[in-house]
Amino acid sequence: MEHLLEFARGPLFRLSFALMVLGLLRILALDLFELYRAYRQAGDKTVPWGKTTLKALEWLVPIRKVFVNRPVYSVFSILFHIGLLLVPIFLYAHVKLWQDDLGLPWLTLSYKWAYGLTLLTIITGLALIVGRIANRTSSFLSRKQDYLWPIALLIPFVTGFICAHLGVGPKAYQALMLIHILAGELIFVLMPFTKIAHCVLMPLSQYVAAVAWKFPPDTDDKVCTTLNKKGEPV
Amino acid sequence: MRTKRITPEERERAFKSLRKPDVEEKQRLHVRYHVEDFDVNDRPRRFLEAFAAILKHSNYRMALEHFIRMSAKCSRCAVSCQVYQATGDLKDIPCYRSELLLSVYRRHFTYGGMLKGRLLGDPGLTDEKIQEMAESFWNCTACRRCSIDCPSGIDHGLITHLGRYILSEIGIAPRALVVSTREQLEGATGNTSAIPVPALTDTLEFLEEDMLEEKQVEIKFPIDVEGSEYVFFPAVSDFLMEAETLMGIAAVFTATGDSWTTGTGYFDGINYGLFYSDRMLERIVKKIDAETRRLKGKKVLIGECGHASRSAKYFLPTYCGGKDAYPVINIMEYTYEVFKNGRLKLDPNIVTEKVAYHDPCNIARQGWIIDKPREILKAFCKNYVEMTPSGSNNICCGGGGGTVSIDEIRPYRTTIGGKLKADQIRRSGCHYLVAPCANCKKQLRELVEDQKIPVEVVGLHDLIYKAIIFDDSLKVKKIPAEAGTGEEGK
Repeated sequence: MEHLLEFARGPLFRLSFALMVLGLLRILALDLFELYRAYRQAGDKTVPWGKTTLKALEWLVPIRKVFVNRPVYSVFSILFHIGLLLVPIFLYAHVKLWQDDLGLPWLTLSYKWAYGLTLLTIITGLALIVGRIANRTSSFLSRKQDYLWPIALLIPFVTGFICAHLGVGPKAYQALMLIHILAGELIFVLMPFTKIAHCVLMPLSQYVAAVAWKFPPDTDDKVCTTLNKKGEPV
Repeated sequence: MRTKRITPEERERAFKSLRKPDVEEKQRLHVRYHVEDFDVNDRPRRFLEAFAAILKHSNYRMALEHFIRMSAKCSRCAVSCQVYQATGDLKDIPCYRSELLLSVYRRHFTYGGMLKGRLLGDPGLTDEKIQEMAESFWNCTACRRCSIDCPSGIDHGLITHLGRYILSEIGIAPRALVVSTREQLEGATGNTSAIPVPALTDTLEFLEEDMLEEKQVEIKFPIDVEGSEYVFFPAVSDFLMEAETLMGIAAVFTATGDSWTTGTGYFDGINYGLFYSDRMLERIVKKIDAETRRLKGKKVLIGECGHASRSAKYFLPTYCGGKDAYPVINIMEYTYEVFKNGRLKLDPNIVTEKVAYHDPCNIARQGWIIDKPREILKAFCKNYVEMTPSGSNNICCGGGGGTVSIDEIRPYRTTIGGKLKADQIRRSGCHYLVAPCANCKKQLRELVEDQKIPVEVVGLHDLIYKAIIFDDSLKVKKIPAEAGTGEEGK
């Protein structure tokens, strides 16, 4: 078990982390490139950059949007995201893993904050799953991954919480820790290929929507030629 | 904002529109509006070919690539969609509608989708799915209110726009729109209402005589005046149905003395291409550019019409020279400027009834013109009331996205599409509902008629015409005998 743990914590972690970083960088770069290319070939280049940036910021920090539409869902979703971002990055036990090697200065969460935020993430995550099932419109729209993702994301939180805050025996601790690490690594690997890619694409959404309405010139002729419709009446 | 869902009886009435059984039979396409004749054979293949051709020559791929990774299926858009709020039908949720096209893109135009399709034996696009899209994309009024509330930034309006474009390439488009566009681009009259030039000039002369009699001022509609500051393109249907709006606009120009003209070469602001085909959008926009060039005008002036304004403002630069394209302004912007500068005077004692303002989606959604007409109205209407929500978050009239021109679906528009708007109008208790858009006016008139709301739907310039004060120097001392009555002028 210890070997397995070491393997999961060591090479497997580095591999999955690298896959995540490279995968996310790839889709971010592709998205940016496509955005740039669309802008380059647009006939009208007057994109309201300032207004679009404000809209993007408004959604990245969606305080003003919370109570406008589905307030309960929105509050839970925001709290879930806060925990989801803060705990893995600033948890002392996590920071220690790379700080020992790299020696980089890094902020860490206090015990109380880590405890509270982990609990908050678990509760809000469960509430979101229940809400998705219970809400008529959400459950109609949802795909498998919309249910599986919150569950997958909660596994490391639940196992981590049990290991850190609830007393378990050494064997159970090791087993839970292995699940904790492997689940985290699975999440890393899948992130670039699923809707979780929104973690890097989200800031670009408003720009994409704004530039998408900027069409290239002379497409009538080109589409007609491609579809062999030249000279066809309306 | 909560609304009562439609009753089962209302639903039946809404969907029991003027179906054309013979067409359905022939085309195997059960939609509520009449579509152009088209070849039904091998529809999925032709749909995918058209999709591929459009993706190749447009910027849509960028948006679709982004959107397929972003959709969180949170259903916030269901709350902002007036159609879903009225029907409660889950298939009317904007995100569901978008997914119809996104799933085709994912399956046929991404490596992952193609691989998954082969591994799992997914047959891909089917005729049934095309059928569903054909119906679904025209249930939407393309008001784009849902895009404001999407946390993922997905523009469902853009996806509907693209879906309609692809469908139109395989011949699935409302007959009303296609026939009008055909007349506009290839017909003898060159406009969507098929008004010949002599009929246009006669109408304008008649209106001039009317105005002389009513206002004792020689108010003119200049025709084909080269070198004018503004070349005027109203929704051409205004010449038939919105005389008061046109008279108000002419009166404003007479009061200010600025030069403007209507061209006989092309005088139609309507652009149904915005609703169903980018190819038509481009061709129609180019006609506006050509006519402005012919008349050596300096600016394009669009009348009271939301989609005409948007299609010219945002797509004239796209198709006609980028930043060198003619500047486009909406008549409300012009009127606001001259009003602010004190060149237009309005009598605050004429319009005493309760007045409310309806924002046309195509000019308000992006925050283009919201406060200007309100400032004008508040300045001379004693009893102005605001409808909420309004501005960029307004509720669509229910006839947006070209649906207003499809008479076969009037029961759908006035029972479902415009239900929230009808509730809003009723709550406002207004006497005059100002809707500065030809499409909104038609839809709202049908809506208040069908929903039995005692409201008069007018344009902004209809009220301005009532209240405008002319300088004494403009008043004619003696009305010419031949202009005595409108009837004689005829």
